[in-house]
Amino acid sequence: MSYSTFSQEQSDPLKEPMFFGHSVNVARYDQQKHSIFEKLIEKQISFFWRPEEVDVSRDRVDFNKMTDSEKHIFISNLKYQTLLDSVQGRSPNIALLPIVSIPELETWIETWSFYETIHSRSYTHILRNLFSDPSEVFEDIVINEQIKKRAADISRYYDDLIFYTQLWQTQGEGQHEVDGEVHNVTMRELKKKLFLCINSVNALEAIRFYVSFACTFAFAERELMEGNSKIIRLIARDENLHLVSTQHILNLWQYGEDDPEMKEIAEELRDDAYNIFMTAVEQEKEWAHYLFRDGSMIGLNEDMLCQYVEYIANLRMEAIGFDAPFENRRSNPLPWMNKYLVSDNVQVAPQEAEISSYLVGQIDSEVSAADLGDFDL
Amino acid sequence: MAKAFKVKLNGQHELTVDASQGSLLEALEQHQIDVHYHCRNGFCGACRTKLICGKVKYTSEPLAFIRKGDILPCCCIADSDIEIEH
Repeated sequence: MSYSTFSQEQSDPLKEPMFFGHSVNVARYDQQKHSIFEKLIEKQISFFWRPEEVDVSRDRVDFNKMTDSEKHIFISNLKYQTLLDSVQGRSPNIALLPIVSIPELETWIETWSFYETIHSRSYTHILRNLFSDPSEVFEDIVINEQIKKRAADISRYYDDLIFYTQLWQTQGEGQHEVDGEVHNVTMRELKKKLFLCINSVNALEAIRFYVSFACTFAFAERELMEGNSKIIRLIARDENLHLVSTQHILNLWQYGEDDPEMKEIAEELRDDAYNIFMTAVEQEKEWAHYLFRDGSMIGLNEDMLCQYVEYIANLRMEAIGFDAPFENRRSNPLPWMNKYLVSDNVQVAPQEAEISSYLVGQIDSEVSAADLGDFDL
Repeated sequence: MAKAFKVKLNGQHELTVDASQGSLLEALEQHQIDVHYHCRNGFCGACRTKLICGKVKYTSEPLAFIRKGDILPCCCIADSDIEIEH
């Protein structure tokens, strides 16, 4: 099953499953099997922004006035987000593009990854403003034990799927020995790895960002680091859209609206999916502990952050068909977070203060006679 | 034109909402109900609510996946008397 960048085999993309069908040949969007992905592409493109448009120069003054424990919180979060977007800027492309089989999803994956690269570039923009040489911050990402621990868990499922896909595409199904280890490559096994991978990505987009979002917005509540907060609001809005796409993929499988074998796998691996999510929840709580090890910050402490993680986890898990795991966490412990997450409050350009999707060319070409009623000649 | 419907919330509150005045989410907020939301634009799904009976109408097409029995109050209005769990 070697991959071809333009398979000449005829296939009907409307009958293909999302993954592991015939590889996509013609990139056409006039017809769609799952039109949601086309709509997500349009929405995501309408959200286009560039980090350089946001003025972060005042943040340096704020940063220098912060206490050491607040600096630790701020910088650690940026490191963690840099890690997350480094992974997300490449992994959906490498892991999913070789196995995707409908054009609208293929293009969504590319659009999604591209936006993660905008996020990565914005961390450099923020850090370059705070430090004359941000190298130390970036270099610590691959040394810092707390971050490495999370990185291992995030990349594990991607790496596993990528490796098995490579074996399958070069050697086909069967038992393959690599470096003394035997791998049993079957379509079922590949699909299981895909299922676990999407669940892990879903957990990442659903909750892994939110501890650092909360800290950023807590600074913004005190009118500190506001340039940074504007950027993070744009990032949060994009991440929400990415999350919608993984929720759609999981739900389409679960409801049997795509590959019937994926429906079976979703039932078979339900406990594993649950555990992937709960592990992410635990890791985020540990991260909150690490952030506040030297002291908390005004308006936020470890306890409140952990409660917020549980609150968000409830919402996210119900969205993919699980019962809320934290029944006693039904009300939002950080209600001020919401105003930063409302998409229409995001300032895209100075002249567009209230509108989030800056759509170009929104001109109504239909003119009725009544529109001219006010004219006198 | 006012379109008044009754909303029964979480089996206890009985509210009257005017469907011609903004989304169901806004209507709940006007009654000082503690609501869940993020994007208020139909794509994040944070306001997901169970519709126990009745009908709602979407004023803009939501992008979030709506599981059976769920509604997104940020982008819909009541279209009959409804009972919901938020």
